[in-house]
Amino acid sequence: MSSFARSPASAAARPIGDAGDFNSDIRLSVEQVSYAYSANPTQAPLFTLEATRFQARPGEIVAIVGPNACGKSTLLKLIAGSLEPLSGRVLLNGFVTHALPHRTRGQRIAMVQQESPLLFPSRAWEFVLQGRHPYGRTLRFETEEDILIARNALAQVGAEHLTDRFMDQISGGEKQRVILARALAQQPLLLLLDEPTLHLDIGAQVDLLETLRRLASANRYTVVVVTHELNLAGQYADQVALFQKGKCLRVGPPATVFQRELLEQVFQTPLTVELGSSGRPRVNMPSAK
Amino acid sequence: MRPLTLSRLLAHCAILSAVLFVVVVIALKLGAVPVSLYGLGHDLLRVLFRQTSQLSSEYQLIIFDIRLPRILLGIFVGASLSVAGASFQALLRNPLADPYVLGVSSGAAVGAIIGLVIEPHLALSPAVAALLTPIGAFLGAALTVTAVYFLGLRQGQIDSGTLLLAGIITASFLQAIIMFFMSTLTGGNYRGMAFWMMGELSTPPQRIVSLILRFGFFLSAAAIYTTASDLNLLLAGEKEAMHLGVDVRRVRLVVYIAASLLTGLAVSVSGAIGYVGLLVPHVMRLLFGSDHRILLPTAAFGGAIAVVVADTLARTVVSPSELPVGAMTAIAGAPLFLYLMRRRLA
Amino acid sequence: MPTRKDPRKNIAAGIAIVAFLLCAGLWPSPAAQAQTPAASPAGSLVYKEFVDEAGRTVRVPQPVQRIVSLAPSLTETIYALGLQDRLVGDTDFCDYPPDAQKKTKVGGAINPSLEQIAALRPDLVLVTKSLNLIQTVNALDRLGISSYGTDPHTVKDIVSSTERLAGVLGVPEAGATLGADLEHHLADLQQRLNGVPPRRVLFIVWSDPLISAGKNTFIADALRLAGATSIVDSSQDWPHMSLEEVVRLQPDFLVFAASHSDSGQNDFEILAARPGWRGLDAVRNRRFAIISDAVNRPAPRIVSAIEDLARQLHPEAFSAQPGDEKEKKIPSPAQPQAALRLLPSSSGDSALLEVCACAL
Repeated sequence: MSSFARSPASAAARPIGDAGDFNSDIRLSVEQVSYAYSANPTQAPLFTLEATRFQARPGEIVAIVGPNACGKSTLLKLIAGSLEPLSGRVLLNGFVTHALPHRTRGQRIAMVQQESPLLFPSRAWEFVLQGRHPYGRTLRFETEEDILIARNALAQVGAEHLTDRFMDQISGGEKQRVILARALAQQPLLLLLDEPTLHLDIGAQVDLLETLRRLASANRYTVVVVTHELNLAGQYADQVALFQKGKCLRVGPPATVFQRELLEQVFQTPLTVELGSSGRPRVNMPSAK
Repeated sequence: MRPLTLSRLLAHCAILSAVLFVVVVIALKLGAVPVSLYGLGHDLLRVLFRQTSQLSSEYQLIIFDIRLPRILLGIFVGASLSVAGASFQALLRNPLADPYVLGVSSGAAVGAIIGLVIEPHLALSPAVAALLTPIGAFLGAALTVTAVYFLGLRQGQIDSGTLLLAGIITASFLQAIIMFFMSTLTGGNYRGMAFWMMGELSTPPQRIVSLILRFGFFLSAAAIYTTASDLNLLLAGEKEAMHLGVDVRRVRLVVYIAASLLTGLAVSVSGAIGYVGLLVPHVMRLLFGSDHRILLPTAAFGGAIAVVVADTLARTVVSPSELPVGAMTAIAGAPLFLYLMRRRLA
Repeated sequence: MPTRKDPRKNIAAGIAIVAFLLCAGLWPSPAAQAQTPAASPAGSLVYKEFVDEAGRTVRVPQPVQRIVSLAPSLTETIYALGLQDRLVGDTDFCDYPPDAQKKTKVGGAINPSLEQIAALRPDLVLVTKSLNLIQTVNALDRLGISSYGTDPHTVKDIVSSTERLAGVLGVPEAGATLGADLEHHLADLQQRLNGVPPRRVLFIVWSDPLISAGKNTFIADALRLAGATSIVDSSQDWPHMSLEEVVRLQPDFLVFAASHSDSGQNDFEILAARPGWRGLDAVRNRRFAIISDAVNRPAPRIVSAIEDLARQLHPEAFSAQPGDEKEKKIPSPAQPQAALRLLPSSSGDSALLEVCACAL
């Protein structure tokens, strides 16, 4: 799974620099990536993401947090390679993500996001099998191996009982699990999740993060999660990146990022931070006066 | 868990081709003139074994010169329209899409009318003059497709919503032009045009036109089929499809061009036969599922069967007069679709 | 990733391609040689070439025994020429004379059944350019069936077209006789109307929307010969008229073509009741003429319709010549009872003309 052929179609996808520069320990490297979005090319950009920099290793979970419209989702798309950065680059094992051919990108990077409504609802297993698409040739039918991987993925997220159900007939939490299973079926190196906890109750939220934690260490995924839930991030992430209005204010282990003054400034509300016994911070609202 | 396999696909196709074969045989038998299939089979065998050099002229004329070309035309037109319909439904992410929603048929009609109007002013041999309608129709369709494409671009890429809007507006505009023309056309031309626009298979096209239709069908259908699994993913969502390794831009372009080509060819030859491109894909979805790897081939067979059946009814129900094929497809297709839909929901 | 299913898939694809190509028209077609006419035992047929009125060169087998007519006007002409026994098929709309309704039907004029035509094994199919489609003609060509087309634009054209057709069908004498007779009637009419100022009329094809006949149609020509001028000056064949324009032009008479006198009367009453039409003198004074729908068909019968109209518009040109009444019938072997039943108009009151003409 960690071996990959160099695709001849993308010259720009070869590792940058000589072997000495390439730190094999780092899987994901976001190097001074910036972005600007403007509806009209002649006008000033509506939104910018300023140069951002951080790195992640296999097995790590990185949480991206911040208020609404601070550029979290944009950063995720830049990492996924679906947007091209204005400056800087995103490297996945030394390859520029944006320059990867579509198929290869689908084999390395999996995205879990809010699903568009399904036009013709399919069954869960069909849905998960879609994750095998990057591995097939043009006219292909799924092989035994594909089916095995799909089953495995459903099992890993604890959704085997949903295999034959229609996607429009299961609950939000269950759907989220099936979507995750599809991402796992891609056998990616990088797992990206955009606000996966949005419509889940607290139990389901914890469930999801536990699963991510488990998968990340078992399968050596690098996981990047965009979330609003500060405490989930604090509890489960190895690194947290805090954003405000397109600017990355701090990157590091949760304890260093969750500083009271910093959080109050970013979220514009009084907060308290206490350290738990495991060294993980918890963010609280002060009691009402 | 029962994923689609090649053998299942081939089995379904085999069943459908058997149904098509039976339908063709029945269609050969029925018509304004009674024909004995036993006699025909007998004569055919005799020809094969070289006992006579030709079939009796009765069979030859009725069967081979009139009915069989008409049936073959119906097969390819029906197959083209349903594959195009299924493709547009996927491309536009809209179950109400049919091959004409982007204005192809209106453009073809305008082209055909223009051909009709300028024909008396050109000194053409009858053979070439007869080609003027299909050529005019095809050019009209091609120009419309191109215009709608450029109108439907958003940030340099085909966008489903914009494309749909652009197509509908273009179709309306062209319809207005058609109305203008129709109000100024003279008697015989007017009636001919009205009939053509309803869609009819009664005029056998010239051989070269048939060959182009068939070749175009195979080429376009094959091109669309190569994107079949991509289309499955596209329907799940464009962003998701992109992250799953689909080259969305390329797929959209290929499907748009190929489906428009299918529609343009079909309409140029037979006018705008309605409802086939809309209903047949839905019926096939209800029967065989939404996976395009099986939907596209079954839609092709289904469309062929539907049009041949409708055409046979159209030319026998009020024999010797003929009804428009489009009316028959709607009358037969809509109840069938409703029945299948209720069954699925029950 | 090659799997063991690969070679099977290739074979399957190959079979599919071969099967499709076979049915895709590399079908060895015995029809390829079918450019020769269908109904010919070899050698016994003679052909004559004619050029039809659409400029096409037509090979007509001689003698012409089996005729299919694809237009009501042509069916009427065949009956007028006395060739009805050779007519083996006509369209659903061929209703005159009544005997024509008993012939084998081949469908409509613009959507005939090719099969049915072919099954009748015609020597010649008759078409007319204003009604039939070129696609039908082309399809008949491809089946090896000869078709002859007429294209009359004036009443004179109708007469000469009839004579030419008679020649093609092998009965030039009957054609000459018929033609001469028609000319005689027309000449007589001209004489009577000599010096009489023409009435200004509006010929109504359809009342809602208001459609009339353009100046280049044979209907307009027929109106002229009947001592009328159409107020319509359009070069379109079937122009839509605006009521305003008609009121401005104030025609002297409205002319209706109807298959029954009652429906013609009805048409006028309906029209008169509509708002705005009271603005027409012709409506207020009930000045309208009803003639048979023969005027809509470019066939010999149009001459009697012309005469009928002339009588209604210029009764003074026809009075006091009772002996001519008998001569007014068009000699036509198929219509022994042909009659123009004329109700006497209230003499002297030219403003009130309610004449009913029922052509059988």
